[in-house]
Amino acid sequence: MYLNNFTYHRPETLEEACKLLEQCKNGALIAGGTDVLVEIKKGLRHNDEIVSLKGIDELKLVSQNKSNLYIGAGVTHNQVKHSQVIKDKFPALIDAASNIGTEQIRNTATVGGNLCTGASCCDMAPVLIAYDAIVEIASSTKKRTVSLKDFFINHKETSLAKGEIMTKVIVPFPNQGVGVSFLKFGLREAASISVASVSVRINSDGNICTDSCVVIGAVAPTPRISLDAIEIINGEKVNEFINNSLVLKSIGEAAVKDALPIDDLRGSAEYRRNLVNSLTQRAIKIAAMRSTESFK
Amino acid sequence: MKHLIKIKVNGADYELAVKPNNTLLDLLRDQLRLTGAKKGCGLGDCGACTVLLNGKAVNSCLVLAVEADGQSVMTIEGLAQGEELHPIQQAFVEKGAIQCGFCTPGMILRTKSFLDENPKPTEEEIKKALTGNLCRCTGYTKILESIETSKIYLKGDKPQKIEYQPQKSAMNLSVVGKRLPKIDAPDKATGRAIYTDDIVLPNMIYGKLLLSPLPHAKIKSINTEKAKALPGVKVILTGADVTDLTYGTSPPRYDENVLAKDKVRYVGDVVAAVAAIDEETCYKAIKLIEVEYEELPAVFDPMEAMKEGAPRLFDDKYENNINTRVDHHFGDIEKGFAEADHIKEARFVGNRTYQNPIEPHCAIAEWDRHGRVTLYTSTQVVHYVHHQLSRVLNLPLGNIRVIMNNCGGGFGAKAATNMLEILSILLSKKTGCPVKMRFNREEMYLYGRGRHKQYIDLKMGVKKDGTITAVKQKVILEGGAYSSFGVVTTYYAGSMLPTLYKFPNYKYDGYRVNTNLPPCGAFRGHGTPHPRFAFESLLSMIADDIGMDHIDIRLKNAMEPETRTCNDLEIHSCELKACLETVRKKSNWDKKKGKLPKGRGIGIGCGGFVSGAGYPIYRSQFPHSNAIIKVQEDGSKAVLFVGDADIGQGSDTVLAQAAAEAMGITLDRMSVVSADSDITPIGFGAYSSRVTLMGGNASKMAGEEVKTQLIATASNILNLPEDKIDAGNNKIFEKGNPNNFIPWEEVATAFFSQNGPLTGRGHYSPPEGLGGKYKGAAVGTSPAFSFSASVCEVEVDMETGKVKVVNFWDAHDCGTAINPMAVEGQVEGAVVMGMSETLLENEVFDSNGKMRNPDLHNYLIATSADVPTIESVIVDSYEPAGPFGAKEVGEGATLPVLGAIANAVADAIGVRVFELPITPEKVLNAIRSKTIKG
Repeated sequence: MYLNNFTYHRPETLEEACKLLEQCKNGALIAGGTDVLVEIKKGLRHNDEIVSLKGIDELKLVSQNKSNLYIGAGVTHNQVKHSQVIKDKFPALIDAASNIGTEQIRNTATVGGNLCTGASCCDMAPVLIAYDAIVEIASSTKKRTVSLKDFFINHKETSLAKGEIMTKVIVPFPNQGVGVSFLKFGLREAASISVASVSVRINSDGNICTDSCVVIGAVAPTPRISLDAIEIINGEKVNEFINNSLVLKSIGEAAVKDALPIDDLRGSAEYRRNLVNSLTQRAIKIAAMRSTESFK
Repeated sequence: MKHLIKIKVNGADYELAVKPNNTLLDLLRDQLRLTGAKKGCGLGDCGACTVLLNGKAVNSCLVLAVEADGQSVMTIEGLAQGEELHPIQQAFVEKGAIQCGFCTPGMILRTKSFLDENPKPTEEEIKKALTGNLCRCTGYTKILESIETSKIYLKGDKPQKIEYQPQKSAMNLSVVGKRLPKIDAPDKATGRAIYTDDIVLPNMIYGKLLLSPLPHAKIKSINTEKAKALPGVKVILTGADVTDLTYGTSPPRYDENVLAKDKVRYVGDVVAAVAAIDEETCYKAIKLIEVEYEELPAVFDPMEAMKEGAPRLFDDKYENNINTRVDHHFGDIEKGFAEADHIKEARFVGNRTYQNPIEPHCAIAEWDRHGRVTLYTSTQVVHYVHHQLSRVLNLPLGNIRVIMNNCGGGFGAKAATNMLEILSILLSKKTGCPVKMRFNREEMYLYGRGRHKQYIDLKMGVKKDGTITAVKQKVILEGGAYSSFGVVTTYYAGSMLPTLYKFPNYKYDGYRVNTNLPPCGAFRGHGTPHPRFAFESLLSMIADDIGMDHIDIRLKNAMEPETRTCNDLEIHSCELKACLETVRKKSNWDKKKGKLPKGRGIGIGCGGFVSGAGYPIYRSQFPHSNAIIKVQEDGSKAVLFVGDADIGQGSDTVLAQAAAEAMGITLDRMSVVSADSDITPIGFGAYSSRVTLMGGNASKMAGEEVKTQLIATASNILNLPEDKIDAGNNKIFEKGNPNNFIPWEEVATAFFSQNGPLTGRGHYSPPEGLGGKYKGAAVGTSPAFSFSASVCEVEVDMETGKVKVVNFWDAHDCGTAINPMAVEGQVEGAVVMGMSETLLENEVFDSNGKMRNPDLHNYLIATSADVPTIESVIVDSYEPAGPFGAKEVGEGATLPVLGAIANAVADAIGVRVFELPITPEKVLNAIRSKTIKG
């Protein structure tokens, strides 16, 4: 358990960083470093060159325009937690960011890192997908965007190509009527990896739901959108979710069908299915309440 | 290539050259020698390395030093202004929030960043704020309290004084029985306390171990040529280079080689040792050692291992891999069951848990040119290490010096001689350099010596009125590859059951079985927690069957003072009934039991333990604890020298209190030197919950000897007969006329001037002939036994199965509490550790015996957010064998916890989980199985 030696690069611009990454034979990108350094220490990966994003200030900003929120990929989870605009407009992002790791980790680990590691248990992915987030990816020659729901390919595999760097997450400001929630289940009260997580977006006109979203996390190689669950939600009255347990139950069961869980140290596949079911129902209630509150 | 960085640390500017792979923690500890930030895991899980980077708490083990360029860092060394403690440090010291102190610097810095950001936090916010800093000693309770106090201090106010009602037995005492801050707490709060890994000696090199990747294999050959050729490598040792003498913990089962001789028996067995200029080179060299193995079939399940034809770990001993067999029968079990109106039996299964002290094991050896070796080591048992080294190295005790500076927690993980201690010496001898060896977190798990997983078949018979007539227990202990403490563990698993409740007929069958897994050893409560969990569970089940209240059935059978148990253990003081009545009242049991809504439950468990083992680990006639007091020539200070180790439990303070009380001085006049084999007289150390009673008696005796001499001197000065003079509160005075006094230090000065050094000597041996005459009768004997009862209230999420322990009430009979604040600290720590073991902890292995969760990321221990509200009460009690009436608390406090939680969960969900840990998944399955069954 030690850090093997490596060559350290600290580019000042994105372009430089991309070029360095392209040239590296066996390079790794670090932002917060809380995943990469642990993996190196544990001997799970070996990198001869490390390209740090610490010198690129534009990645560390939370900004906004009329329609979108922009979270730089190098923004830490605690920056998210303390951002006033996120508190006001994206409460479910706060729910997710403030329960990742520990205070120390949240001060260091970044949103981009959380997404680009591509771990199936990633907490920021389900909630950002529920908010319809898009990510911007840069290479030395061009920039492209991809919808976050299409970013994940497999556990620890993303659509990032060699030499590409995620630069920011673009999240559209939710309209009135949108309520989003995020719930995770960990084995202890804090500092625990999700055994299952669910993020729900309820979009309503104050009465009927349209364009809703259910994303389940840590129960498949990538976060998954449950189309069956969404189908039941859309067209349903929001009030039903607060009062009608039968509808909730059927949505919970629909979400379970989209889970592809495995047995691991934290729980069996069967147990995870149970969690998806109850977390989905609970998350829908919260999202429905937030949707309703948006009209007040 | 090194990078030149500029960094501000604690206000001072530095320009430093750092390697890319140096972490900020390396920079602070190795380059700036600021050792307040500790390395507990190196992976960002424990928080012991927490520092403030630009005012924000970070794990310095996961920050590259080069990335701290241009930043400002605060370490614990930068918090206090000169002599004055920072208000947070002051609060931690006063509230008893510091035990081993290893997590303390990180904890205090995190508290600072938290209160800077949020000066008026709620209780919930406080609990959540500290979850990145793991503590294994305190149960977080006093830490959380000290944050409340910090808030008050930071506002410039003074916290309210807590009125403490002393126990009856402490009413007339002035130092004993007082809630006094620990004497080492200020050093631990400021990062000044030196732990083994903080020591760097001139010309020091490092050592690391090559561990077996296979669970069972013959070593055919080892080629170290490539590794030796690596620049920086000094020496490599393999099995061929070390003695054939085996070592271990219990003399009848010395079965470990210093380095594997011909075969390896588990993934993690030690194959070779490397010494090199730094750890990085050691790691590289290890990878270059070529070992040719011939793989052998392995066995991981004790039931499989016991079968005819199963792979054998040792060809020449332990038939069917049965390492220890106990067959005990007291009274008449058949008759006992025949007399019962109701009989119940069930199988309970424990879990394989690891102590996880936050400080990893570390040893530094320095072999001098005169053939004498000094070993600094993080150990609970300086004397046993000393003894074992003398055996293995074939050196007289006098040629070895063993020093424990500070120990960052043990709980049994550091209660025996380990390979770092032996190999660092061998490497030092070979190289002529001091050698430091330390485990990383993974190596700690693989070295093991955690709790045996036990499979318990328990059967109990009772009369209609609840009287227990017979108990039969069969236990299979999964022991891992070597014996360690296991012989004793196997006996303890049986011998402690009859100490809490009176029953005349008892049969115990114990089997400790070797498997190709890390060796199990002694973990807090040694062998007893799992049987106690089973017993408390079955007793509550039986109570339900016969329609009796769970506390009533315990009161019916509760142990009473001056009883000889069926297995010949002598109980003297015993206030178990008072403990039961106390928690019944405090918890509002009668209003809650059977009346709580679904998903909420309440449960009771009892416990108790020895106050020190009646017999030593190896045969010797030495007194078990010894003390010397040396009074300064001007009488301003008395220094207590004791061999017993303060591993965070607070024994230095407690023993100083006993000595001070005996001498008639206040605690501020005491200083303690402990656990150094050259300087302190032997003490068997911190295991079997022995130090308060045994070390306390020795310290008290030494203090009394000082007092007697002073009174003789004062007799001449005051012109009074000796029996008319007493000492107290730093005065030597006329009995009945305290205004006629001389200051203590004046008498001490007079004594020294007339007679030379003023010293006192004390020693303690348990009474001779403890226990019965049967084989194994020695295990379980003790001069005194502790007792306790706990009530636990839980909330269960019926949809996810998650258990939240909400409230915990504990009443403990520890005799006279020498330091009630330290006793509470032990109880709170035990409650949270016990809760963590019951609900979270389990070592998991893959099909090849490789541990799957050897870290603090996947092997979860409780955080501050998991902690219930704990109310701990010390009942009135007096133990004649103990110093001022004191007995143990440290290990015994763990024992009621497992059963109390299991019973509360069963109460909440209406069905029982029989296997530890009680995970949400098991709880949910239990709920579902009940629903299916109806």
